[in-house]
Amino acid sequence: MASFISRLPLGAIPLVLLVIAWEITARAGVYSVALFPTPTEVANVFLKEWPLLWKHTQASLARVAFGVSVAFVTAVPIGLLIGRYKTLDRLMDWTIQIFRCFPGIALIPLAIMFFGIGDRPAIILIWLAAFWPIVISTIFGVKNVERTLLAVARAAKAPDSLVLRDILLPSALPSILTGFRLAAGAGWLTVVTAEMMAVKSGLGYMILYAQMIFRPDQIVAGIIVIGTIGLLFDQLIRMMRTYFCSWQEGLVLEA
Amino acid sequence: MSFIDVNGVTKVYRRRAEEVHALDNVALQAEFGEFICLLGVSGCGKSTLLQILSGLEPATAGTVTINGQPLAGPHADASVVFQEHGLFPWMSARTNIAFNLKARGVPAAKRQQISDDLIKVVGLSGFENKYPHELSGGMRQRVGIARALTTSPKILLMDEPFGALDAQTRGIMQAELLRVWALHKATVVFVTHSIDEAVFLADRIVIMTPRPGRIRKIIPVDLPRPRDPTTPEFNEHMRLVLNEIHDDISRLATR
Repeated sequence: MASFISRLPLGAIPLVLLVIAWEITARAGVYSVALFPTPTEVANVFLKEWPLLWKHTQASLARVAFGVSVAFVTAVPIGLLIGRYKTLDRLMDWTIQIFRCFPGIALIPLAIMFFGIGDRPAIILIWLAAFWPIVISTIFGVKNVERTLLAVARAAKAPDSLVLRDILLPSALPSILTGFRLAAGAGWLTVVTAEMMAVKSGLGYMILYAQMIFRPDQIVAGIIVIGTIGLLFDQLIRMMRTYFCSWQEGLVLEA
Repeated sequence: MSFIDVNGVTKVYRRRAEEVHALDNVALQAEFGEFICLLGVSGCGKSTLLQILSGLEPATAGTVTINGQPLAGPHADASVVFQEHGLFPWMSARTNIAFNLKARGVPAAKRQQISDDLIKVVGLSGFENKYPHELSGGMRQRVGIARALTTSPKILLMDEPFGALDAQTRGIMQAELLRVWALHKATVVFVTHSIDEAVFLADRIVIMTPRPGRIRKIIPVDLPRPRDPTTPEFNEHMRLVLNEIHDDISRLATR
């Protein structure tokens, strides 16, 4: 019985309840039907206008995937080096603390001025938004390496390249993936915002456009897609973590 | 001149405003192939002395020479077996064993061959692809010992390697260590706080006393191996050693 319950997708229950509450509210006519779409109307967007949804989803996804990937390959090596070398850490600390506080949204006007309207400003903003969480979690992961393991490396006279690749990178990997999870979230948030101002495609653009042509059902459909993809990202990164960090079994409570 | 020559070694740690004399004017000689146990209550500086011998910690004053050469940093002919978690949790037993060779730039095929040999020697056959979290405490220490032996060290430095093991496993590992030591002749410096472990293993027991860490007495154990802990001769040695460290134990108990 207990194992049966533990295998149920409990996470779906609040969502189902939410849809039911939504349907009831819409039918009760609490709000103007023209402004407050019913679940059925939104479902119709998915059924009848899926080419439109798919086109914009693709555009957003491509931007996030590209921006976050670039952030990953740039932030991890930099984080490893900063975490490893104290002087570099002291040199960069203030800069990182200042830059990570800039909300991507605040940089949109600058990005448009520099790079115009199109993919470039959007991807650069995603990269910036995703870069900091990965750098910070990589540094944190490197600093948390077990001291004995570094002593083992020193006693064996291991060269720095080996220490970085075979000890610090795998040791920091759980933390790096946590940073990656935050970065994917930040990138996704940024893409939607950027698309409302700096690009003429993607889910953000679709939602803003739907407001202008008075299609609240499209807005809600767009929001649902955004949320669903956020959930899928998160699950994917969790799976990566389980796969790559299986050596953590028994060392931590839950991966 | 002896193989290992420790001369007037002093170690002072500075902890905030406080100075801790971990070692005070320690002198010790060891011949090649000798099994030395450093024995004493906690805080007597036995681990500090081992750290200095391993080249991981510099001495505040005094010199260590190995084979006539002054020691500066980890020695190529020395290997360290660490207390508990000296294994990389993300590496299989085999990869862990091969690490010291990899650190020296030994090519993969040669690494594989040497580690396969040692897997057999230390009795890890069938466990070589397991990860540390899948191994028992005794098996983990076998991996640690095998890794230390890959470089055919002339000096084996062991910091309470069996301290975390249960009594039965501990006994087995002591006998195993002596068996392996007979195959790979080396000078062993073995830190322990267990009197029967020291009498079972050592050619000479170096008894240390705390605050400041000094050598109190060196007791030779000239019993033939394998030693039987139930014989009167064994117990006579236990009594000798116990008399020497009795004061320290009672001082520690009343503190």
